[in-house]
Amino acid sequence: MSARALLAAAAALLPSLTLAQACPEGALYPGSDWTDRTAEVRAARPEAVQALEAWAFTLTGKDEERLGLRTDGLVVVQDGQILYENYGRGFTKDKRHLLWSTTKSITGLLAGIAVKQGVLAVDDSLCKHRPDLSAACDITVRNLLEMASGFDWAEVYEDGEYQQSSVLAMLYGQGREAVVPFVAGHKRRAAPGTAFRYSTGDAHLLMGVVRAALKPEFGDEYPWTLLMDKLGVRSFTLERDAALDFHGGSFGYLTPRDMARVGTFMLHDGCWAGERILPEGWMASTRTVNPAFKGTPKEEDTAYGWQTWLNRAVPEIGLELPYPDAPGDTFFTAGHWGQYIIVVPSKRLVIARTGDDRKSVPNKVNDLIKHALPLAAGVAQ
Amino acid sequence: MKTRILLCCAALLSAAACSNSGRYERNDLELVTAYTAKDFCSCMFVMERDEGYCRAWTKANPQVARIEVDTQHKLVRTSALSLWSGAARWKNEREGCVNE
Repeated sequence: MSARALLAAAAALLPSLTLAQACPEGALYPGSDWTDRTAEVRAARPEAVQALEAWAFTLTGKDEERLGLRTDGLVVVQDGQILYENYGRGFTKDKRHLLWSTTKSITGLLAGIAVKQGVLAVDDSLCKHRPDLSAACDITVRNLLEMASGFDWAEVYEDGEYQQSSVLAMLYGQGREAVVPFVAGHKRRAAPGTAFRYSTGDAHLLMGVVRAALKPEFGDEYPWTLLMDKLGVRSFTLERDAALDFHGGSFGYLTPRDMARVGTFMLHDGCWAGERILPEGWMASTRTVNPAFKGTPKEEDTAYGWQTWLNRAVPEIGLELPYPDAPGDTFFTAGHWGQYIIVVPSKRLVIARTGDDRKSVPNKVNDLIKHALPLAAGVAQ
Repeated sequence: MKTRILLCCAALLSAAACSNSGRYERNDLELVTAYTAKDFCSCMFVMERDEGYCRAWTKANPQVARIEVDTQHKLVRTSALSLWSGAARWKNEREGCVNE
């Protein structure tokens, strides 16, 4: 074949290759620093900004009573620009905040990166990567992404009975030395893939398998080198257990600005500045109600995809649209005491919120989105 | 005085706090001392908040953990009723704190 024919053949292949790796056109990302448009937004929409601020930052009672909303940080971004930013209770833009279960969604992204790098497949058995988990060979990566391992897991926190809590036992009790085998050693309540149950254990187990897959080729710094560094995130801390496995369901830390970077990455389909970091379709799966969730009698008031919450109605189990004031394409991460990365693709909007809400606050996510949406029109470019 | 306070606390504690009545091995005080050590360490050295804030942040029930902070070595020790104790140490910026 002549050189010209080779070139023609290569050119013919190019569109499909380009398509397979395409990133969203026209997507805007922050540079090494954010563009600050907060003053312009405040001038253009003073009532909207005041309403958001009053809702988020008005404290209830004395601090020690731990009542109501206790917002520590709130950043609203669009197109690489900060529309609103404020901090409370002694936090600043440079202080990291504990993410609790928002860490799970980051673990889900790292699983996607392992798939993109060709070292993990969603239907791999756990023990393909962790032979020590021989009792869990029937469980797949997909089962964990869907929170459908089938383990008899009690997702109980400090307001329940401590000694009945699988979470407290894992983080602070007998499991803390080695969280991965602790989770995998639980009895089963259902066959893998057949029943959804939100489980911090499943997220820890997922991170254990992701680490086993990525570490040999990419080293043990993969959460930073393969993800956070690429997004310009400088604040990420991820704590480990004594066996050096990451606490992939609980103990991540970020500044709100860096949470907004992660949200922007999710908004733009797992791409950053033209580089495809997640496999094509990974975010689509992350944003789709998973089959186990659809097939399980309603346990949660919000729909679930892959390690991520969704504002979707699920008629199969009688779940109505969880947040009627938010667009139906909204998806988000959620952590204990009010840590959120909320993405509203139809408005190109990302909301990062940290807090210390020790008591339940009704309609919190709905009202946060409702108050942030009026800012989404942005300002003139 | 300190001993008297501890004894007073001990009398007020439910039996469950000191016994293993649940599904898992560790009792409430073991969990609380480990929790307070790790999360106090993370509060101070990862979130970079001061000691007063971190006391409020990690306040738990039962409230029997004594907290000692070694800022030089970035180490937090906790104890309860002289029987249970916890410790956590900051490792580095990326890895934060871990229970010892």
